[in-house]
Amino acid sequence: MLRVTINGQTYEIDESVTILHALRAAGADVPTLCHDERLKPYGGCRLCIVQVHGHTRPVTACDTCLADGMVIDTHTPEIETLRRTLLKLIAHRYPADPLQQFPDKEFHRLIRAYGLEGELRGAADATLIDDSHPYIHVDMSQCIDCYRCVRICEEVQGQFVWQAWNRGDATRIRPDSHTTFRESTCVGCGACVDTCPTGALEDKALLTPDKPTAWTRTTCPYCGTGCEMEVGTRNEHIIAVKPALDAPASKGHLCVKGRYAYDFVHADDRITTPMIRDNGAWKSASWEEAIAYTAERLQTIATRHGPDSIGMLGSSRATNEENYLTQKFARVVLGTNNVDCCARVCHTPTAAAMKMMLGTGASTNSFDDIEQAHTLLICGANPTENHPVVGARIKQAALRGVPLIVIDPRRIELADYAALHLALRPGTNVPLLNAMACAIVEEQLHDEHFLRERVSDWPQFEKFIKQWTPERAAALCDVDANLIRQAARLYATNKPAMSFHGLGITEHTQGTESVMCLVNLALLTGNIGKRGAGINPLRGQNNVQGAAHMGCDPGTLTGGLSIKDGQSLFERVWRAPLPVTTGLNLLQMMDAAAQGNLKALWAIGYDVLLTNADAHTTRQAMKAMELVIVQDMFLTETAKSFGSVFLPAASSFEKDGTFMNAERHIQRIRKAIPPPGQAKPDWEIICGIARAMGKGEFFKFQSAEDIWNEVRAVWAAGNGISYQRLEHGGLQWPCPTENHPGTQIMHTESFALGKQAALRRVDYRPTAETVSEEFPFLLVTGRTLYQFNAGTMTLRTKNIVLRPCDVLDISPADAERLGLRNGDQVKITSRYGEAELPINITAAVKKGELFATFHTPQVFLNNVTSAYRDRYVKTPEYKVTAVRIEKTHEEKKPC
Amino acid sequence: MQTKPHEPHIASFYHLPGRSVADSPCQGMACFAARHLDPDRWHTAQTQAARIYCLGKCYAAPAAGSDTCRPSIEIHAAQSVVLKHIVAGGARTVQSYTGHGGYTALTQALRTTPDTIVQTIEHSGLRGRGGAGFPTGRKWRAVFQASGDKKFVVANADEGDPGAYIDRFIMEDDPHVLIESLAIAGYAVGASKAYIYLRSEYPESRTILKQALADARQQGYLGDNILDSRFSFDIKLVMGQGSYICGEETALLNSIEGRRPEVRVRPPYPTESGLFGKPTLVDNVETLAAIPWIVQQGAEAYRTLGFSNSRGTKLVSLNSLFNRPGLYEIEFGMPVRHIVEQLGGGLKAGKLKGVIIGGPLAGMIPPQLLDTPFGHEELHAIGAAVGHGGVVAFDEHTSIAALIHHVFSFGAYESCGKCTPCRLGSRRIEQIFENVLQGDASSAKAEWDDIATALASTSLCGLGSGLAEFAHSIAKHYAQELKACFA
Repeated sequence: MLRVTINGQTYEIDESVTILHALRAAGADVPTLCHDERLKPYGGCRLCIVQVHGHTRPVTACDTCLADGMVIDTHTPEIETLRRTLLKLIAHRYPADPLQQFPDKEFHRLIRAYGLEGELRGAADATLIDDSHPYIHVDMSQCIDCYRCVRICEEVQGQFVWQAWNRGDATRIRPDSHTTFRESTCVGCGACVDTCPTGALEDKALLTPDKPTAWTRTTCPYCGTGCEMEVGTRNEHIIAVKPALDAPASKGHLCVKGRYAYDFVHADDRITTPMIRDNGAWKSASWEEAIAYTAERLQTIATRHGPDSIGMLGSSRATNEENYLTQKFARVVLGTNNVDCCARVCHTPTAAAMKMMLGTGASTNSFDDIEQAHTLLICGANPTENHPVVGARIKQAALRGVPLIVIDPRRIELADYAALHLALRPGTNVPLLNAMACAIVEEQLHDEHFLRERVSDWPQFEKFIKQWTPERAAALCDVDANLIRQAARLYATNKPAMSFHGLGITEHTQGTESVMCLVNLALLTGNIGKRGAGINPLRGQNNVQGAAHMGCDPGTLTGGLSIKDGQSLFERVWRAPLPVTTGLNLLQMMDAAAQGNLKALWAIGYDVLLTNADAHTTRQAMKAMELVIVQDMFLTETAKSFGSVFLPAASSFEKDGTFMNAERHIQRIRKAIPPPGQAKPDWEIICGIARAMGKGEFFKFQSAEDIWNEVRAVWAAGNGISYQRLEHGGLQWPCPTENHPGTQIMHTESFALGKQAALRRVDYRPTAETVSEEFPFLLVTGRTLYQFNAGTMTLRTKNIVLRPCDVLDISPADAERLGLRNGDQVKITSRYGEAELPINITAAVKKGELFATFHTPQVFLNNVTSAYRDRYVKTPEYKVTAVRIEKTHEEKKPC
Repeated sequence: MQTKPHEPHIASFYHLPGRSVADSPCQGMACFAARHLDPDRWHTAQTQAARIYCLGKCYAAPAAGSDTCRPSIEIHAAQSVVLKHIVAGGARTVQSYTGHGGYTALTQALRTTPDTIVQTIEHSGLRGRGGAGFPTGRKWRAVFQASGDKKFVVANADEGDPGAYIDRFIMEDDPHVLIESLAIAGYAVGASKAYIYLRSEYPESRTILKQALADARQQGYLGDNILDSRFSFDIKLVMGQGSYICGEETALLNSIEGRRPEVRVRPPYPTESGLFGKPTLVDNVETLAAIPWIVQQGAEAYRTLGFSNSRGTKLVSLNSLFNRPGLYEIEFGMPVRHIVEQLGGGLKAGKLKGVIIGGPLAGMIPPQLLDTPFGHEELHAIGAAVGHGGVVAFDEHTSIAALIHHVFSFGAYESCGKCTPCRLGSRRIEQIFENVLQGDASSAKAEWDDIATALASTSLCGLGSGLAEFAHSIAKHYAQELKACFA
């Protein structure tokens, strides 16, 4: 503790803070212009000067450490005169108009506070205005050279877009394109806008006089990072989104989707009334009609074909509470375990493998470990595009010199910052990861102590893994054996080493086994159960972790409990029997439907048709169903082709509840605006249908919190997480009691399964999907920064300006050989189907390989993807499809 | 600020990238003081595309890159520490340098422990010659003690203070003394790599240093296992591209790293986190040039030279208005009057208005204070400074208004722009005095006072606060003439 005197009062303040922090803690704030808590102290504007006794000159508070005994005065007449002089100098070059236009900007408030409105003598300059970006307005005549845009782009986003040109008072901030902002390398995170203390950078949406009248804190509806945001609203409309500065996962940062892509909420084609298909055409209906219709049809099918003829799909876009109700509905109202969610097509292999080996199917560590890790292993994930806020943190680590190992067929952005890039052949994760384990064992780099204490089956594993020499793997993976050894050495010796993985690991026939191989590496090297380490799946959607964890899984109940283990608890709490038959997962449901055994599907917030691999099979399955209930915001491809009834749902901005992010954080979402028209939160719809089916007694919920409290009753690890506690920020499970602080790092002393975890001996079973003379290319599918999964949301925002269309990435060598030019429209044909899209020639993909995104219904890429599935949990093999391409003679289609 | 290095926006910070100064005239402070001697040349200097502030030819001011004459070079100290080789005809080759006894200090140093050398420098009382006068031994000790897998030594050869041509003559006439002293410094603090950051206004220095470095490498004074020791060391020459602020050590480090050369916030000091974030010793050329002598003659011998808290000898360089403009090695303690009247022989013509020692970012000494002894604290007490050691005399041709305009024009042009008072305040004062010179003596007195105070109290680095020191000395010693400006 330091004793300091601030403006005559004595304070005791923690060590290692700056004077500025101490002043703010003491409520004795001083003005700043170049300061932002997200950035390193800069000491440029000099407004935070204070008088410290014993110092001959004033001291800048932002970059000076507090010292014991300091006597600080913040507002002496001399200091105030100096501040006024500095502000006046800036004011003389600053135009007067913006003061009215943006009254709340930091600089404008200071000008008013010091009464310097009359000193604003600068001129507007049209040549300094750049409106080329769809979301961001630039007017550098309002630049005051605080460099916050330049610094936040470097220090937080790591993008280096804004550059300072010239020097002194001739300094100009310009985008790195040297032309327009739109043509720069900007990724649209909006951090520069957020930090700008003037109107030099502003959200276009805020240029009107209609500023938001309310701000609501909530959690982002896109990827699984779980960024928290403040939603600015006016007249039941979202006007703006800003990052929540104290958010644990996002640390005051957002990406282009979270910050700007919210307009889908107000899209013209939003469905706001229930609809029933009548003779092929959609007819609007009242809720009573729609619910009665749905309930009656479900009842009829259940009676006629049995409860297991119906399947339900929860939604990763919906809350924990709603997913909990979805599975409860399936099990209690319908009496079937046929309930699943889209985790099935992404990280169910992760959850399965980690649960089998460690006892818990979720990230072992937290994003805060990124700053503690000495080595970062990125496998089959492209964080800077798909988890941009995590990606930015990883990139900052790399810029600080932390070595990255990137395992990915493509040269993703992080590969440019990596110490090692292992550009393996798609589908060869198992041999590569085995070879790393082999190299670790051969070179005796394994952690003997950890193996002795925490790991079992070591002798058997040691014998097995020695067959997987890097040389053997090199031939299968097309990766130099020496590179594999280097990666192994780095991961095993430069500890702690933290692993992140994505769908490049899971979406394979050996997806579950690939995750096992990753866990093996962590167990061998002791890179688990400690800071800066662990196995960390990057979850693709806001609440995909939650959807599955709440029990939208045919084999497990809420909290990942198996039906066998959870039966008595759930039957006691629910006061209803659990179904006894084994449930079908999503893919099995499709198979059953095609065979005529599954007659009805209720898909909540899930465009199954567009996103399932091998769409031909999905079509056949859906065609065979009697009832397809679509609960969504928009008429999805599933709804358009096969929907029988449409139930309009509220977006996450229009309801209360919680999401679970990739690092096990339970975070609140809050209602910022009412749902449009008759749209309702998913939980209300589910409760309504339950009532209509005579099971209302099990669904007597008045609020999301009511539901959550029942979740707590069945989920021991979440029991301590109350809404009241969540008001103060998210909590990470396990959090078994109300005074438990939550768990940042799992498995520190023992695993959920016991003291020791067993190494798994995974042999390589190559996918049957192979290239041939007819299908010579390997196609990998994935996402991009500006669009999101089925595109339901992002395609209805200005993100389409930034990324108008799915494209097919092809290597320069292949493009040249085939006589293709950038933008040429090609037909891509697999053993399963075909699709057309334009090509993008890039060295990021290797010769013989292709990469395409799957966002747009116009392209419908899943017409092409493979029918093969993971051996354990049936996740489709989206990452390996053999295809051929040919140039079409059609003119380029407008996308 | 962290930026992607070596990109066009970084180059745009500098005003001489890829530009030759071979034929260009100079408009540094000494040339300004002597502008009436060649009005045409002065006019060209002021109207050329990029300004040149000091070519280190102040003895021939107003000067141009093409001038080849030399100043008088003399020793006026009990012992010569720095100029001895130069007055004896210089030592550009390894042979001539070793002929003068060069590189024996390095040999000697390599036989003792690094700690011993650091102790010697500490005890010598040597202070930095770049302007700040920081105790050199303390810096060496800090880097010696700093932990780090890598450390660096940097020679600040960005002698940018107009009026100084001290480092230039050391580098051009005795280049190996810099190489030898860098090697000793590297051995002492535990660095295996050094950089010489040389300003581009000194093309001749570049040619000579390049040759000297190549020779030293070839003769085994640089490279692996120097003089059969276990010490390996090399030096890289890095060229500036035209920016006065790069003489500030943290801006200089940013420049070497290829970043925008803004001043860094301190702490951390370079001794702890300097070049590429590693502990770094940054010393000016003249400071380094004293090292071999101190290593050989011992700390005591050095301490006996000089006076007060300013020990040893100092080079001073006198401008062209003196009868005997030249480069002189003096002992600290010599009255300024002796430098002006005896060494310089007084002015060639006209009456002395005042002298500025150590570049434009220092106070002007009026004639009535010439008896002040030449020493750090002593000059500081009268609002002046030892600075870099350039001594620029002004005569009656220069009005106070013109001088203020010149100095603030320089300051505004060379400001990095990071801090508000320097970026905007220096330009504003330049504008005020531009108006004064054009006869518009508007009531800007209060603004001048406010900005000068803000520069003194809130500037981030010595550029802004130096401008304030200059302004303060004018207000104090030339109050009448200043008052007239605002009348």
